[in-house]
Amino acid sequence: MLTYEERQIHLSWTQNTTIKQIEDAFKEFTTREDIAVVLISQYVANMIRFLVDSYNQPVLAFLEIPSKDHPYDPAHDSVISRVKYLFSTESVASGRR
Amino acid sequence: MEEQDQMQSSIEVEELEEQQQREGKRLEEENVVRFLDSLDSYVTLLDSLSSTLRQGWLELASARQSMGASRINGALLDLKFHSAATSLQVTHHDDEILNQPHFTLCKWASSKNGYGDEKLRENKLQTNSDGPQLRHRSQFAGTPEKIPETKGAPLIVDDQVQKERTKSLSMFGTLVSPKLRAAQLSFETALETLVEIANVRLTMLSTSDQVRKELEGTEG
Repeated sequence: MLTYEERQIHLSWTQNTTIKQIEDAFKEFTTREDIAVVLISQYVANMIRFLVDSYNQPVLAFLEIPSKDHPYDPAHDSVISRVKYLFSTESVASGRR
Repeated sequence: MEEQDQMQSSIEVEELEEQQQREGKRLEEENVVRFLDSLDSYVTLLDSLSSTLRQGWLELASARQSMGASRINGALLDLKFHSAATSLQVTHHDDEILNQPHFTLCKWASSKNGYGDEKLRENKLQTNSDGPQLRHRSQFAGTPEKIPETKGAPLIVDDQVQKERTKSLSMFGTLVSPKLRAAQLSFETALETLVEIANVRLTMLSTSDQVRKELEGTEG
């Protein structure tokens, strides 16, 4: 059993990181009481897009940020996609690649 | 006489209803404007974050080139736990407008230096890439923040903050490249921007929910 100080607060993505590891880290970080903001590279967020889009808790801030190799794309941002319906009659997922 | 009284009371009731409708419409428009402001701020801040991070990475790469790859390397990290020099506080507002959590960044607050949870503030350093100014279209904005003008503003840095910055760079050696210091400042600015984005995101989501409820109410 890890102590409070020994619990990880980050997951470094590499080419060998599996989708399962990303999903487990997402579920852990979004349920821990000592974490208020979760930062995720948008490139990695796209790998677990269904999980990210289904998250809608107001207290925890879940921010998709650009990475060095992959610039930020507003079209893929889950928050902007959630409010986009207010501007058009298209479905939320219609603009997704 | 009774008829006149009845007419008077009905007129008053109608006026009251009209006033309530006007007030309701005003609140709806207020929510829409606040939502649009927060959405605009969100997109603007993300764009600012992208440019700040890009600048930081470029400066880090320049520092690595000047100092050498062996001096700026992940192998220098001791992988031990350290007390956080910067922390994030979550507070809850109870007023009508900001009925949501609020994130506050406490930079360079170290208990070892006796500052405890005291927030150390400084004026923003003038950099080459000035961040875009947030535009608030109306007076209904929930969090009217002013970003200080960076062009021509005098630089005032607390000595303790500077010491903390130097201490955090000490693992790269005593003499470090100016580019590495610039990279540190860029990432520090990016951290501040991230906290702003988190707050704006909360405002955007809450106002969009209110607008959606109003739309559903008018459609039903």
